[in-house]
Amino acid sequence: MSWAFSAAVLLPLLAASLVATGSTRFLLWRLLPWLPLPALLLATQVRDASVDIPWLMLGARWQLDTLRSPFLLAASLLWGGAGLYARAVLEGAERERWFLSSWCLALAGNLWLIVAGDAVGFYAGFALMTFAAWGLVVHADSPRALWAGKVYIAMAVLGELALLAGLLLASELAGGSVLLAEMATALGRSQQPGLALGLLLTGFGVKAGLPLLHFWLPLAHPVAPTPASAVLSGAMIKAGLLGWLVVLPLGLTSLPAWGTMVMALGLIALLGAALRGIWTREAKTVLAWSSISQMGLATLMLGAVLVEPALWWLVSGWFGLFVLHHGLAKGALFLSVGLSLPGAPVARGLALLVVALPALSVIGLPLTSGEAVKRWLKDSVSGDLAGAVPWQPWLPHLLSLSTLLTLLLLLRWWWLLRSGDGSTAVATLPWVAWLLLAALSLGLPLYAPILL
Amino acid sequence: MSGAWLPLATLATSLLASLIIFALPEHRHSIRTTVNILAATLKLALVAAMTWGVFQGRFYGISYEMLPGVRFVLRADAVAMLFAGLSALLWLFTTLYAVGYLEGSPNRSRFFGFFSLCVASTLGIALAGNLFTFFLFYEMLTLSTYPLVVHRGTPKALRAGRQYIIYTLGGGAVLLLGVVLLYQLEGDLAFRETGHLMGSDPARYPALIGIFALLVAGLGVKAALVPLHGWLPTAMVAPAPVSALLHAVAVVKAGAFGIVRVVYDIYGIDFAASLGVLEPLAWVAAFTVIYGSLRALWQSDLKRRLAFSTVSQIAYIVLGISLFGPLGTVGGLVHLLHQGIMKVTLFFCAGNYAETLGVHRVDELDGAGPRMPLTSLAFTVAAFGMIGIPPLAGFVTKWMLGRGALAADMAWVIPVLLLSSLLNALYFLPIVYRLWFRPLRGDWPAERALGRLETHALLLWPPVFTAVLTVLVGVLAAAPFSPLAWADLVALRMYLP
Amino acid sequence: MSSLLMAGLLFTPLAWAVLCLLLAFRAARLASVIGMLLQMALSLALWAWVAEQGGFFYHLGGWAPPLGIGLRVDGLAVTFVLLTALVGAACGLHAGLYLDPSRPWQRYFWPLFWMLWAGLNAVWLAGDLFNLYVGLELITLAAVGLVVLGGAAPALEAALRYLFAALIGSLAYLLGVALLYAEFGSLSLVGVGEGAGSASPAASFALLIMLFGLAVKAALFPGHTWLPPAHGIARAPVSALLSGLVVKAAFYVAARVWLELGPALEAAVVGVLLGVAGSAAVCWGSWQALRQPQLKLVVAWSSVAQIGYLFLLFPLSHGVPEAVSLQAQQGVTLQVISHALAKSAMFLAAGNLILSVRSKRVEALAGVSRYLPLSLFSFGLAGVSLMGMPPSGGFAAKWLLLQASLASGQWWWAAVLLVGGLLAAAYVFRIYRASFQEVEESDPFYHPPRSLEIIPLVLALLALGLGLVAEPVLSVLGLPFGGEVLSP
Repeated sequence: MSWAFSAAVLLPLLAASLVATGSTRFLLWRLLPWLPLPALLLATQVRDASVDIPWLMLGARWQLDTLRSPFLLAASLLWGGAGLYARAVLEGAERERWFLSSWCLALAGNLWLIVAGDAVGFYAGFALMTFAAWGLVVHADSPRALWAGKVYIAMAVLGELALLAGLLLASELAGGSVLLAEMATALGRSQQPGLALGLLLTGFGVKAGLPLLHFWLPLAHPVAPTPASAVLSGAMIKAGLLGWLVVLPLGLTSLPAWGTMVMALGLIALLGAALRGIWTREAKTVLAWSSISQMGLATLMLGAVLVEPALWWLVSGWFGLFVLHHGLAKGALFLSVGLSLPGAPVARGLALLVVALPALSVIGLPLTSGEAVKRWLKDSVSGDLAGAVPWQPWLPHLLSLSTLLTLLLLLRWWWLLRSGDGSTAVATLPWVAWLLLAALSLGLPLYAPILL
Repeated sequence: MSGAWLPLATLATSLLASLIIFALPEHRHSIRTTVNILAATLKLALVAAMTWGVFQGRFYGISYEMLPGVRFVLRADAVAMLFAGLSALLWLFTTLYAVGYLEGSPNRSRFFGFFSLCVASTLGIALAGNLFTFFLFYEMLTLSTYPLVVHRGTPKALRAGRQYIIYTLGGGAVLLLGVVLLYQLEGDLAFRETGHLMGSDPARYPALIGIFALLVAGLGVKAALVPLHGWLPTAMVAPAPVSALLHAVAVVKAGAFGIVRVVYDIYGIDFAASLGVLEPLAWVAAFTVIYGSLRALWQSDLKRRLAFSTVSQIAYIVLGISLFGPLGTVGGLVHLLHQGIMKVTLFFCAGNYAETLGVHRVDELDGAGPRMPLTSLAFTVAAFGMIGIPPLAGFVTKWMLGRGALAADMAWVIPVLLLSSLLNALYFLPIVYRLWFRPLRGDWPAERALGRLETHALLLWPPVFTAVLTVLVGVLAAAPFSPLAWADLVALRMYLP
Repeated sequence: MSSLLMAGLLFTPLAWAVLCLLLAFRAARLASVIGMLLQMALSLALWAWVAEQGGFFYHLGGWAPPLGIGLRVDGLAVTFVLLTALVGAACGLHAGLYLDPSRPWQRYFWPLFWMLWAGLNAVWLAGDLFNLYVGLELITLAAVGLVVLGGAAPALEAALRYLFAALIGSLAYLLGVALLYAEFGSLSLVGVGEGAGSASPAASFALLIMLFGLAVKAALFPGHTWLPPAHGIARAPVSALLSGLVVKAAFYVAARVWLELGPALEAAVVGVLLGVAGSAAVCWGSWQALRQPQLKLVVAWSSVAQIGYLFLLFPLSHGVPEAVSLQAQQGVTLQVISHALAKSAMFLAAGNLILSVRSKRVEALAGVSRYLPLSLFSFGLAGVSLMGMPPSGGFAAKWLLLQASLASGQWWWAAVLLVGGLLAAAYVFRIYRASFQEVEESDPFYHPPRSLEIIPLVLALLALGLGLVAEPVLSVLGLPFGGEVLSP
């Protein structure tokens, strides 16, 4: 079993090392969409697996469970689709070695952190992804990209530090164990988990775009090349969420104060980011703000679970659904920004309508995965939190408000997309990539309960 | 005494190499190189054999009375092998690198002669079985490094040499005083696992504290603890292989290793803790960690920046030593190796930039990544290692130190670690950024074509290998015979009488 | 066996002195090489004999004192005899190559050299105060003559200055001897020591005046002023002999007198005074060495400093436990040996360097490290011993003296030792620094013959290795300055 995990992580790493030898670049571009294939197979073929490798790092563990599977599935699909798109638009472009190496390394990191059952592996993958994505952020090499890169890396380093401290404290509580599950248990049992919790929330919060830690995100996500933006906003942002889910003592103990705070932050992100996003002028920036807003949903749910541990057993599947839905949909949305729309009015209008489909899902229109996500959330938080959170009665209304704001936000995006230039020559391959992700984002989450 | 020949042979390898090299005329380059590499390889093999033996619990040692009442003792124990392994391994790489680096320059006979002498001293320091023997080799190291520091013979190099010698000889004098006083008081200078001052008369405690201060101050000069660090940044005018030797293989390590010996094998960690000398040491180390990093931030000369980084990184070792508990010990000891591997990589790379492109300053590095990809990759890996990014070597250190601090109830160390990591990131990431993300601005200051590859092969491969090691020691940290596993073994033997 | 050895040791040098007076330079050189080999063999044989059998008294010609001459052959004496053979032979061999045979007066080197050797052996082996005096006078006259070989007017001036200082010293010593004879009726060291049971003013004065005279002869600060000019101007092998051996003879006599008489006469103040003078010598000598523009003057002033260490013996052996006194004696003995080896090596190497760079100045050494590594290496190794860095004999001596000073509670001498070491490092590294300077691409230097370069290297290596075998060497010394076994 171990080899399957290793293959999933090592294939992109191997590809990255191939970049150095210039002659294989042609091959590498062909290979790019298939790099996450072992991971995809792993996600679909393996249900529950845990392999200990005691000699690796400080004692490593590969792990795949119901929590991690949807993350792995979403990530491998998104990276694959975006990879196809990247091949179509970036092959032969300037600085392609730079792009390829950053891409492969970030992919390796992303997959690694998902299947890591130990803190060191998780942290290593997280760091690898973060630093490699730096290369994606500054790839455009424009002053704007460089500035975004600076902010990105500064925040990332701060996040890494908070994470190191938090993991250290958690490991100490767990008697020196580096296994994430044991850390979570120890945090649940501990009398004073406050500092560790705070540090972990902050550390992962940087990646997840938690309010006050978010400001790098609208700068960095849009400046990257379009496929990179897609994976940044669709897959990498989820690493923060996964971090929370695997290390926080969910379902083990009630932490009302922390939970309430997290819920509040989630709400602020949900509403504030949507509101703020409406006032931006660039399609990709709008989408970045939308990502923050959507991550607010997950944050809200997380807070609810922290307040009411019993909720965890009901909603742990929700996070998987959310990741599939938002990851793929946001990926598709970002890719559509770079699509070359047909010049002819009718074809153009049609194309614009089609590309809006994933947006509908994000808004949460009926029959979409987004709707399922929202409904589940609404049901959970309105039922089981009675009394635990003072403003609990307002939650359904706030969620409805968020739907409205998301609608406005994505309308804004659509508007910006529409006013963009058209082109006569329509490249097929990007559209194929887009179509793939869009279809998956619409279809897959609906079957998620069966799949997972 | 069985197993006497192995430590002696290890020492003799480089001593003999040194003598042969001194005797060779300047122009016999190929013979000299052969001798150098043969000696380095042989020594590595000997050290490996000895390490295996020590792991099996075999005893290697030799001892004879050198002065009335004072013995010359060589002894291979677990800590010794940690340091010996490091220097033997890195010596091989540094020798290869130096051969490439000095190609076509004068005074190579002198250089390699003293170079070997230096490593012989370092091995002596590692294998010394008592403080007296340690001191012998410690001073020998000082003397044999001087010609290397002033190698270029420029006024700047000579000034650096003067400062180096003032600091280290002063430190040596203080150390000698401490050693003599300790011998006077206790009559025993032997290194024993768990130390041997525990049963000392309480009336002697104040004196023992004073002696501890003298010993640490003397050793702290080489270990570049603030405020005794002034020589290290100046000494960076030396050629890159010498910097590697100073910063990674021998000199600063000798100081840190001496502190390890004093704390664990003379005083004993328990006794040192009960004397209350560990906490002040930890404060000094913590201050040095921060101070070094802060100063590094403002250096525009690449090697100077690296030098201040060493000041900070060596203090990690001392910090680990001063944390009471096996975890801190492990963290400190493992950093002895990890820092060596990473810093040697960084200095090799800095040397490559200087030799190939003529680049000395950080702001001249723009675009060096695409021009010298392997060198820059090695640099990047080592820099990330220094920052403490997993799974690289530096992370393992920081993790163990952090856990050691928590276990020792000295949680204030954690913010120090974090702050220093932040500062590390602040002074390393801009370099990485310039290497890879900035376009080349005009021509390089002094570009030279050295071979088919991006630079001379002997300059290229050593840093690449050590960079791979940086990754490996982190990724395989829990595997048997990794530095971490060995440090674990040492700590086990130090805390269990 | 032993009588042959003793006779050989004392009389061959005298015989060779006469022989060489009759021969020309080259012939005398050949004869001297044979003589040196003979001396070497005899010294080694005697050393081995004593190392095995222990020390003894030997009555020259079978006549017992006070009628005859009594020789004291103990571990210390034979070690110094061996040291003399070693350093003397090295300097002699060097001189044979170094001196210019075409200058007519150089042939006088050989007779003077052998006279000096005879005087040294006489001093090491003498068992009574008067014979010590005779040996000292022999040394002085030969040494002054050797200085004059330097040639020019300044050499003559320096030699005269040396002669006056030495004569004052000798006279003072002789006066002391006379007073002691009047007081105790014996000239034998042992006899005097036994007689001086209690403090008497006359004996105390005698001790004082003897020590004064000997201190001047040994160039103890502030009576050192004659030394730098004399040692600086003499030819390099001569300087090596003077600094390595000659000044040690006066110190040796002083130490013997002190150890016999000092404790009995309760002369603690004198001891401390000598210690203070020694410390001042260490500091002042080193400081002056640091400032000298000429290479040989640096080395000469370094001798002033190094001799200062020897006089720490006096405070550290008086009124302290036996073990501490022993440590101090062992330390000083090692210092004598290591300084003799290192300083002669240094002077010889300095001579080679001066020959090569054709200038006496320190700055002229730039580039030497590149083109004349061997001579510089010898110089450097000798410097290691002078600095008291391990593993040299100088370090071993420093270690023992540090132990003694701390054990006796007189920690201030330890400070002197440490500071002295650092000051020595300062002037030695000044030379290194100058030589490491890179100047020209081409080699402007004269390259002396290899054999000239090897001799100081051997001496320097011996000085360096002495520390590693200090214990065996000290064990042969047995109980220095005493504890001898009477011969059967």
